[in-house]
Amino acid sequence: TIVAYILRALQNYPLYIRSIPTENELKFHYTVHTSLDVVDEKISAMGKALVDQRELYLGLLYPTEDYKVYGYVTNSKVKFVMVVDSSNTALRDNEIRSMFRKLHNSYTDVMCNPFYNPGDCINSRAFDSMVTSMMMQVC
Amino acid sequence: MRDPNNQLHVIKNLKIAVNNIITHPPQPGAIRKLLNDVVSVSQPAEGLVANVITAGDYDLNISDRSVKASVPWYNNWKDTLMELNTSTFYSATTPWFESYRESFLQSMPASDHEFLNHYVACMLVVSSGETEPVEQFLKLSQEQHRIQHSSEYAYPKWFTPNTLKYYVLLHDVSAGEEQRADSVYEEMKQRYGTQGCYLLKINSRGSNRGADEQIPDPWSQYLQKNSIQNPESYEDGPCTVIANKNADHLISDGLDNDIRVDGLSNNFKAHPLQLDHLSDTSSSFDGTDYIKNTASLHELKKTSSGTPHGTCLTLTDHDRIRQFIQEFTFRGLLPHIEKTIRQLNDQLISRKGLSRSLFSATKKWFSGSKVPEKSINELKNTSGLLYPPEAPELQIRKMADLCFLVQHYELAYSCYHTAKKDFLNDQAMLYAAGALEMAAVSAFLQPGAPRPYPAHYMDTAIQTYRDICKNMILAERCVLLSAEILKSQSKYSDAAALLIRLTSEDSDLRSALLLEQAAHCFINMKGPMVRKFAFHMILAGHRFSKAGQKKHALRCYCQAMQVYKGKGWSLAEDHINFTIGRQSFTLRQLDNAVSAFRHILINDSKQPAAQQGAFLREYLYVYKNVTQLSPDGPLPQLPLPYINSSATRVFFGHDRRPAEGEKQAATHISLDQEYDSESSQQWKELEEQVVTMVNKGILPTNFQPTQYCLNSYSDNSKFPLAVVEEPVTVEVAFRNPLKVPLLLTDLSLLWKFQPKDFSAKHNGETKELACGNDMIGAEVIAEFLINSEETKMARLKLFPHQTGELHILGVVYNLGTSQGTMMLDGIDPSIGLQAGKFVCNGMSVRGRQDLEIQGPRLNNTKEEKTSITYGPDRRLDPIITEEMPLLEVFFINFPTGLLCGEIRKAYVEFVNVSKCPLTALKVVSKHPEFFTFGGNTALLTPLSPSASENCSAYKTVVTDSTSACTALISSASSIDFGVGTGNQAEVIHVPLPDSVLLPGASVQLPMWLHGPDEEGVHEINFLFYYESIKKHSKMCHRVLRHTAVICTSRSLNVQATVCRSNSFEDEGKGDNMLVFVDVENINTSEAGVKEFHIVQVSSNSKHWMLQKAVNVSENKDYKLANRERGKLCFKAVRCKNSGENYTFADIVFGDEQIISSASPCADFFFRSLSCELKRTHTQSNMSQGAAKLSFDKAVRLIQKCSEVDLNIVVLWKAYVVEDNKQLILEGQHHVVLHTLGKEAFSFPQKQGFKKILGNSDWEDLEQESPEMFLLKFFRPENTSVPTRPTPEQLSNLIKTTLHYPESFNHSFNQKSLCLVPVTLLLSNCSQADVDVIIDLRHKTTSPEALEIHGSFTWLGQTQYKLQLKSQEVYSLQLKACFVRTGVYNLGTPRVFAKLADQVTLFETSQQNSMPALIIINNI
Repeated sequence: TIVAYILRALQNYPLYIRSIPTENELKFHYTVHTSLDVVDEKISAMGKALVDQRELYLGLLYPTEDYKVYGYVTNSKVKFVMVVDSSNTALRDNEIRSMFRKLHNSYTDVMCNPFYNPGDCINSRAFDSMVTSMMMQVC
Repeated sequence: MRDPNNQLHVIKNLKIAVNNIITHPPQPGAIRKLLNDVVSVSQPAEGLVANVITAGDYDLNISDRSVKASVPWYNNWKDTLMELNTSTFYSATTPWFESYRESFLQSMPASDHEFLNHYVACMLVVSSGETEPVEQFLKLSQEQHRIQHSSEYAYPKWFTPNTLKYYVLLHDVSAGEEQRADSVYEEMKQRYGTQGCYLLKINSRGSNRGADEQIPDPWSQYLQKNSIQNPESYEDGPCTVIANKNADHLISDGLDNDIRVDGLSNNFKAHPLQLDHLSDTSSSFDGTDYIKNTASLHELKKTSSGTPHGTCLTLTDHDRIRQFIQEFTFRGLLPHIEKTIRQLNDQLISRKGLSRSLFSATKKWFSGSKVPEKSINELKNTSGLLYPPEAPELQIRKMADLCFLVQHYELAYSCYHTAKKDFLNDQAMLYAAGALEMAAVSAFLQPGAPRPYPAHYMDTAIQTYRDICKNMILAERCVLLSAEILKSQSKYSDAAALLIRLTSEDSDLRSALLLEQAAHCFINMKGPMVRKFAFHMILAGHRFSKAGQKKHALRCYCQAMQVYKGKGWSLAEDHINFTIGRQSFTLRQLDNAVSAFRHILINDSKQPAAQQGAFLREYLYVYKNVTQLSPDGPLPQLPLPYINSSATRVFFGHDRRPAEGEKQAATHISLDQEYDSESSQQWKELEEQVVTMVNKGILPTNFQPTQYCLNSYSDNSKFPLAVVEEPVTVEVAFRNPLKVPLLLTDLSLLWKFQPKDFSAKHNGETKELACGNDMIGAEVIAEFLINSEETKMARLKLFPHQTGELHILGVVYNLGTSQGTMMLDGIDPSIGLQAGKFVCNGMSVRGRQDLEIQGPRLNNTKEEKTSITYGPDRRLDPIITEEMPLLEVFFINFPTGLLCGEIRKAYVEFVNVSKCPLTALKVVSKHPEFFTFGGNTALLTPLSPSASENCSAYKTVVTDSTSACTALISSASSIDFGVGTGNQAEVIHVPLPDSVLLPGASVQLPMWLHGPDEEGVHEINFLFYYESIKKHSKMCHRVLRHTAVICTSRSLNVQATVCRSNSFEDEGKGDNMLVFVDVENINTSEAGVKEFHIVQVSSNSKHWMLQKAVNVSENKDYKLANRERGKLCFKAVRCKNSGENYTFADIVFGDEQIISSASPCADFFFRSLSCELKRTHTQSNMSQGAAKLSFDKAVRLIQKCSEVDLNIVVLWKAYVVEDNKQLILEGQHHVVLHTLGKEAFSFPQKQGFKKILGNSDWEDLEQESPEMFLLKFFRPENTSVPTRPTPEQLSNLIKTTLHYPESFNHSFNQKSLCLVPVTLLLSNCSQADVDVIIDLRHKTTSPEALEIHGSFTWLGQTQYKLQLKSQEVYSLQLKACFVRTGVYNLGTPRVFAKLADQVTLFETSQQNSMPALIIINNI
């Protein structure tokens, strides 16, 4: 199972990229970057439909042959994208949702760090280990 | 035209395609090649105005013509059918895609399941030049029949069995007889009817006379396009029909509504040109001026050779041809089609009822009521079902196709629809898919669009083609159609999905084009999906490169790059850059390639090491190619490794010579030292001090501290000075950002030199010049390896041989990789091979990097504060000045560890290594008490270090033991020791012999060191100052630095107090004092020092001297083991000579007297004294600054009374065990006694704390204390010390002593009153006259006093007034009267003193004298 997490700031710069295994990273970069189009689309759709503002989970962005791409957007428009192996049937919508929530919490912790400069690449050991544990759990 | 229901139907813009009768289906390989060529030829125009699309926050610059609403290719249909000429669709998609699509559609072979590529009519053409034209017509007619109906010719497919034949007689006006042609035509008319034949006259103009008239080439607009499509060379077939054999099956634009007209050319020995025109002539009507042509091979050959076509045609000929086509269409073709449609329609109607019912009945019978359309998946295996060509099921399709061709889309749609149902019923999937496809197209093309476009028809068709029929070509056609239709309806995402779905592995070119189109769809969406665009562009680029379309690939990547650039997607960016680089390289766009590779390398790469290595090698390879192209150009700037230019350091002078044996060179300054602002400030101060002193107390205004090492902290605003023949070292900080090591070879500096003596400017731009030039020598580092992600300094030297101005510009080097034989992974094999060659050669590229250092930001004036301006940085622009002397200093036997107060002798060697004599050598140090070169008496000591191996550092004299305990007196002046002359104590002249050091000469001088009084590590800075004998304008002096590090450990702590002695042993000689010296061994090292011996105590003072030791122990050896404390008591007397000279008095406890008035003892004494003075000065300045003014003389006098300026020197020996050897160390401690009764220490300390606190704490306290002084907020006036002297001070004015018998025997029985004589001695200690009042009355204030004193009385005068002169001793006879026995305290007289000339009486009670007890005994 391969999982990649990416956090993005408002300007769509990557803040944090992580994938297991690391061989095919380029592909994930492309995948995630491309998925941002869908995220944008979904966000703009959300604004119109006046859906529940508290719902941050965007759901399945799009499925490719091998992977499923999920998205999540915080209120400050920080985007979380997760790419999961499509063969991994253990991951349902609910699991993905809770994973995103966990990710969001950790991200909030990072932001609370007074030494973190918002917009910088995330370089936090706690965040790293959280992501690693989450990935391990999924794999 | 009328349709089967006899309704009028208008046809517009009908186009006719004319082809050779005998054609071959194109070979798949040929098609592929053809398509490839089409695409690669079509490139975006250079320098076209950039087309900027703004999508979200992206501005995309798409330089090809593909754009906004990429307009569907079917604009031909639109133009013709829906009058969309004026619509906003103004431009097509990308041109290469269009030409690809066109060629693709044209190269489609005709297939059995549809009739769109089948021929409708046949033109039979015979030249009028034939002998028997009519017979020829017959022959041709038979031939056509044979071709159509015999199984020999499989390929040209015919629409209907009875093909329309149209007979054309071609008459070449220039060659044949007109009448004959006319007559033959008449014959033809009779035979075939006027409707079926035509006489075409052409070539009215002679072929030879067309040169002067310019007539536009009528075929040009068609030939240009088609010429590409016929790359095959012409073969001369043996067949009589020459052209036919090899002609391609050519279709003009707009496949589906073209009508095939076949001209079977009769070319028996005909003129080739004539033949061509005949067989290929076609024309569109409707006044659209289109002349359609499918060029023949002959013409093609001419095209390539540049011959214009149709030069024999006049304009009337053109009209004739046009008219001919019109005739043919109106008279022959359309009626024929009309008729055929009607026939087919009739057939269908007649058949309908029967077949329908039959079919449905059987269906129901066998398989229930299942509707076949919905069960496509079940029908997979039926795709093989084939109808015979004349099968009734096909008739309806045939009719539909015909209707479609004549643009009757409504009818066509209904026919297709019916056909589709039939085919599905029969489970003939291929046929069904074809019908579905065409149904969808005709539904779309219907004017007014009565029904919605059935997109699902298309989807089904595509799926069927692809999955069931496995016919990718048909599927592709279907997708192309569908995508265009969807695009025209703005359903871009659907179109994109469709296009992407068709990409597959079997055709890279197709995939690439489709992906690119899909990408364009994404960006044309209402909400443009830029990232998807970019991603698909990359995919397309990849496919293009696989298909060998390098330019297209490059273009795709470049466009995608716009999206990824600078957004932090480094891996993707690197990938794109790399691909761009490689594609550019293969396209020989070397500059682009270099810059793309450069990007990969200089951006903070997150690639793995192997990848970076590959990038680097490829970059080097490309670079090498670039440089080889222009070998004479300027050296290129290299991007790697990074240079941290602000970290560049410049050092002037030779490298430090390492220590030679015992000799230890002066540390001076070197590049190895870290910059320390504090110490550099210290050095600067020291230099200022010495320069001030040299310039008689004034610091020159142009003074500039000597800077040997320039770095980012130093003041670089002025041009630094370097000396000729001395190297200039530049340290460049390289950083390798990559994970692979970089190898720099032949690394050297680039510089420019301007000799000052010559007006001509010499530019030493390159190394060659430098080598051939003896002005500047440059050092070259042959190999410099920087490991991965390493920061490494390179030190490069220049040797200036002439004076002038030097400018260091940058570095020049060969950049290469270190591994010669690394795996070439990840490299395109073709490039890899070439690259491999270079790797073996140690691939490297010569280039340069400039050193540009930005100066500090200026912040002085207002403009500078409000703007951002930077000052100059002249670090790299030294001025080479004339020769200067160069001093080297070596220390011999210089210790690293000392005990506090230890005296050690070392030697200093001064060497002048330059060619100039050196003079005015001086040393400055903040700690002058640390060392001495000896005073004037220094020459007495042995000069060479070897001669004095184990001698004492002191000058000693053997004494006889009898003289123990009494002082040996000598005297010396402080001037002899260079102290107290008003000079700054820190600057010390070095006593050079003759005060000049000649070139190459060396001098060894002794130097004594005195361990600092405080424990710990001391860094002591020496600054050696020297000048040249000649004066230079640029450089006045030079300096040499040395930092000595001394570690001191605790030794002794000396504490001394002085108090007045009460005795008057030497009456008349003045007063005397007792000096108590406490010596404590506070050494803590267990192993090191065994014991200390006090060998001598000396005093020196201007007024006082030690006379003798008071309590001498028996063995008179003062040994102090660890933590032992000894107390010594001395008697001090006023000495006679009170001039400027100091009196030295030595009290010796050992066998040898150390002459304290000689070097080094006295040196250090005076040094410490001056330091002490300075310290107290500053302290008193701080505390009493203002108070001093209000002090009047009197107070000072009084104060002086209690002052002693006695200095005690304790000389000791320590027995130290080191490496099982016993060593004897010597040392001295100084105690300065200022005030009576006050404790003084060998080094300043706060009372008692030191023993409690740890040492470090103690130091902290000491460091803090001066600051705490400064933080006082009082104004000086307020802190003024009381103007009155303190009682304590006053009490020291007069010393009183009572002399009386200790016990007195008196017989009270005989006489009741006992009278005892008592002498009161009064001694004036001050320097002035003092009035004294002695009051003998008892005080009765305290009850305690009553008790004691009440029992005796003083007799006689109870108050005396006296005046005592300076130092006078006066004895007063008193009588005490006792009435009974007992012990009495006689110390009751109160003595008041005041200065004689003082009006106000400082009356104060005298000191509380010791109880003077007397015992009165009764006998």
